[in-house]
Amino acid sequence: MAKTDNGIRIFQGLLILGNVVIGMCGIALTAECIFFVSDPYGLYPLLEATENDDIYAAAWIGIFVGFALLALSILGIVGVIKSNKTLLLVYIILMLITYAFEMASCITAATHRDFLTPNLFLKQMLERYQKSETDNNNDKWMTNGVTKTWDNLMLQNQCCGVHGPSDWQEYTSAFRMTHNDADFPWPHNCCVLDARGSPINLDGCKLGVSGFYNKNGCYGAISGPMNRQAWGVAWFGFAILCWTFCVLLGTMFYWSRI
Amino acid sequence: TMLPLLLLLLATAHGLQELQYVPTLAGTKLGGRTTGSTFVLEQPRCIFDSTTSGTDIWLVVASSTATVSFTDSVQPGTPQWAFQNFPANTSAYLTLRATLLHYPCPKASGEITVLRVGSETVCANNTSRPTCNGPLPSPGPYRVKFLSLNGSTPVAETRWSQPITLRTARQLPSGPEAGGRRSAGMIAITSILSILLAVLLAVLLAMLAFCGSDPCGSSSIFKPEAASIRRYNTHHVYDQPAARL
Repeated sequence: MAKTDNGIRIFQGLLILGNVVIGMCGIALTAECIFFVSDPYGLYPLLEATENDDIYAAAWIGIFVGFALLALSILGIVGVIKSNKTLLLVYIILMLITYAFEMASCITAATHRDFLTPNLFLKQMLERYQKSETDNNNDKWMTNGVTKTWDNLMLQNQCCGVHGPSDWQEYTSAFRMTHNDADFPWPHNCCVLDARGSPINLDGCKLGVSGFYNKNGCYGAISGPMNRQAWGVAWFGFAILCWTFCVLLGTMFYWSRI
Repeated sequence: TMLPLLLLLLATAHGLQELQYVPTLAGTKLGGRTTGSTFVLEQPRCIFDSTTSGTDIWLVVASSTATVSFTDSVQPGTPQWAFQNFPANTSAYLTLRATLLHYPCPKASGEITVLRVGSETVCANNTSRPTCNGPLPSPGPYRVKFLSLNGSTPVAETRWSQPITLRTARQLPSGPEAGGRRSAGMIAITSILSILLAVLLAVLLAMLAFCGSDPCGSSSIFKPEAASIRRYNTHHVYDQPAARL
């Protein structure tokens, strides 16, 4: 009897440990998703303008799933200690629902990450940056968002365009409609700016002398944070779900035996 | 004997010095070497010698298919050489007036000595500024040469440059911007999670169907309280007969 008693205790201990890990991972998932939703790099307007901002939706779902995992893990621990069949059944069913939501979040984040190609951002930049005639309020909002975000990006990362300043020469753009090519081969925000925000050498910038204009493209500065967000939500969620799978199987086995 | 002398006199009177220099575009390190309406030339340093010291050195810009001849008199500022009439009514124009002092020789090392053709936008439509260095109206191709004029008499000229074609902007091809290729990671996540969820649902259904409210399997070792209650019952049954006795 002592041996099976130990067996019970060990199995209960394992389930409790599993639930503790789930609870902690829930907190971590909530924290991670809050960090992403707060948009520390200010890139959300770019995604909003592409109407493809589902990696943010995935992060929002992640916040609530994290809380749910924390609450359910406590329920699970109580259920295992009391060996109460009803509590554990409730726990299992609610966990399955949370599982489904988290699965949706992971798949959404992973799928929409694949949409974020250089061409997508290039199209947005060419169509919206400093677009002067906007059709309606929504269009105006998105244009302002894109323009401000690109200005910030170019200033903070010392970059220009998606692949480089040649984007402005190679493709037609809304910017080109209002700014002639001789005075603005590329926007003046691509020039190296001084403390007051004006180019240090405008002629050098227009000529394309390195040191007076930003030669690099901004795609690295955009895709880096977005990839980290998408893969962070997707793979961490995947890891949690694999662990939850094991704990749920163990709990169902335990439920069937009590 | 007079004829050769006369011919020699004529030749020197004509006096157009033909220099072998070919104007070139600036080095490839400049990002704005050619744009949609401008291009950047190397300055003609150490090309013109002291015979052109008092003269104006002009840049002649022409469409590469046109033939431009310099007669005895080239009058800058006339409609024949005006920027505003190019290329509709004239085949070449004069701009970027300079003197030998603007192109000192030797060239200081490390300096960027270039001329940007097409940089003046304010005077592009101003017919009172016929020598405006305005933006070029079409992608070209163009040819340029440097011409030294004493008043309106050509003194020296370089050769024509190679044809210069400017950049043309094209529409961004609407390629696969949405729905890019499916990455391996996304496929792995989707398939594995779907399988795991399916397994969980199957086990849940099996659990509810077969086990219901009674414990599954023969041993009820997982419920410690049940074991102790049974022991208590056994104890009672044996006690009764003893008490009756």
